Amino acid sequence: MPKSRRELATKLQEQKDKTQRGDEKAVAKQHAEGKLTARERIEKLLDSGSFVEEFMLAETPSTDFGMAERRKPTDGVVAGYGKIEGRTVFVFAQDFTVIAGTVGAAHAEKIAYCIETARKIGAPVIGLYDSAGARIQEGLDVTRAIGKIFYQNSITSGAVPQISAIMGPCIGVAAYSPALTDFIIMVKGTSQMFITGPSVIKEVTGEEVSMEELGGAKVHSEISGVADVVAQNDEDCLQQIRKLLAFIPSRAFQEPPRTAAADPPNRLIDDMETLVPEDGKKPYDVRKVIRRLADNDEFFELKPKWARNIVTGFARLHGRSAGFVANQPMFLAGSLDVDCSDKASRFIRFCNAFNIPIITLVDVPGYLPGTKQERAGIIRHGAKMLYAYSEASVPKITVYLRKGYGGAKQAMCTREMGADQVFVWPGVELAVMGAAGAVGVLYKKEIEQAPNPEDMRRQKLEEFTERFSGPFEAVSKQYAHDAVKPEETRMRLIQALEMLATKQEERPRKKHGLMPV
Amino acid sequence: MVGKILNIQVKAGDEVQEDDTIIVMEAMKMEIPVVAPVSGTVKEIKVAPGDMVDSEQVLAVIE
Repeated sequence: MPKSRRELATKLQEQKDKTQRGDEKAVAKQHAEGKLTARERIEKLLDSGSFVEEFMLAETPSTDFGMAERRKPTDGVVAGYGKIEGRTVFVFAQDFTVIAGTVGAAHAEKIAYCIETARKIGAPVIGLYDSAGARIQEGLDVTRAIGKIFYQNSITSGAVPQISAIMGPCIGVAAYSPALTDFIIMVKGTSQMFITGPSVIKEVTGEEVSMEELGGAKVHSEISGVADVVAQNDEDCLQQIRKLLAFIPSRAFQEPPRTAAADPPNRLIDDMETLVPEDGKKPYDVRKVIRRLADNDEFFELKPKWARNIVTGFARLHGRSAGFVANQPMFLAGSLDVDCSDKASRFIRFCNAFNIPIITLVDVPGYLPGTKQERAGIIRHGAKMLYAYSEASVPKITVYLRKGYGGAKQAMCTREMGADQVFVWPGVELAVMGAAGAVGVLYKKEIEQAPNPEDMRRQKLEEFTERFSGPFEAVSKQYAHDAVKPEETRMRLIQALEMLATKQEERPRKKHGLMPV
Repeated sequence: MVGKILNIQVKAGDEVQEDDTIIVMEAMKMEIPVVAPVSGTVKEIKVAPGDMVDSEQVLAVIE
């Protein structure tokens, strides 16, 4: 005797309720580790009550190796859609309390569905990772399903934003899914990412290493450069995602959200003069300069502890989202090297893909000299920055704070590299190389033959500095649109951004360019 | 990065706080402060003004 519709609905609801309640013991264990459950995470990430769960009762079809008894609804991942600040997003959260969040075929299908659908509807997709790894009981079906995720991540890249939060283990081949997304946030102490784990490493190389030393938040935010942001705990992580998303549109060809601007656009910055010392040998923290320029002193920095000689991140200017790229004189004197080229070019390409104007603050002494850099391939890595800036068709504004020398100056987006607006501060020094080096080459003979070479060197250095320091050559030869006073910089940036808001620039038709990666 | 020690701002026995400048070096035309990574007592300064130093080199020991 078939059951009535009402009876079936009741049974279905019972199953759903049971799935939502979860396994008490597993939930307690998750909490004991300082982690929220997948459902709690989604609840805190999204606008209250906006989550619509999909495929809740999906289960693995696999029955081998004990899976018939172990299989459970959701298959270890909670997936669906909801809202953040009223904007639709897709979200999937691996659930460590269900089959240890292992990735089976049904689990992977749900993730691939989220990414694909987010792309179709033009909404950001957010992945919360917390999984013991691929479910080996399911054999080849799993690797095939994971392949589908990689494919969706890859073809979605640049169409809609993809944000990954690592909130537990994300290990083995599964670590490549977040690697294919735009941003990775790792939770301090509870997250790890690596391709081959400690036991395999010990077997193959004899090296003994803990999971945290191998792929914890510190490693990836300071040494490998894999992580963009480190969060203090789960709640902080979910808040950081919401903050980050506020700077980014929901899809390509859409403007980033603009906020009501309470901070006056024509505000002068009185302490800019003291923030940046006139003496070019004195370092300063360029992040303070960015904060002063930004609305409400707010700057969302990415990869703050990796390749620190360049600073990248988002801020707002009169409510408009902008990406900042700035040399950091505090580290490696702000010179360009392999890692910082990688960091900056990736950021520039993100901004271009999602219509975020790029503001470049220049104070660069050159490329970092040495055999280490040359052998590490600074030629091909440095070329990425030239490529990324040239390729970018979003509004590009460059401000020279103190100096720009030689090839490194080009890598920081000059007018000829496509900058739409170039400003210099009055004390700027622009040259093919530093004054002392240039004098040594240009006046080699005169200095050698002079009765007192040191006097001659000093005299030539003074002449050279007199002639080439300052803004006059830059403005008379149209390298820069104008020389601006430090305190007026915010005002001028806002004017320029407003003027450039309707910028359109076509690129030659082709399949795609070949960035020197 | 290779650089030259310009001056040393502390001596053995001095108490330092985290982020205090202990040595100033010059590299890439910039005077770069070397700050204490931890608070403690300076046990030994291993360099003198004018020395050329490279990254990974121990400049001072703080206990």
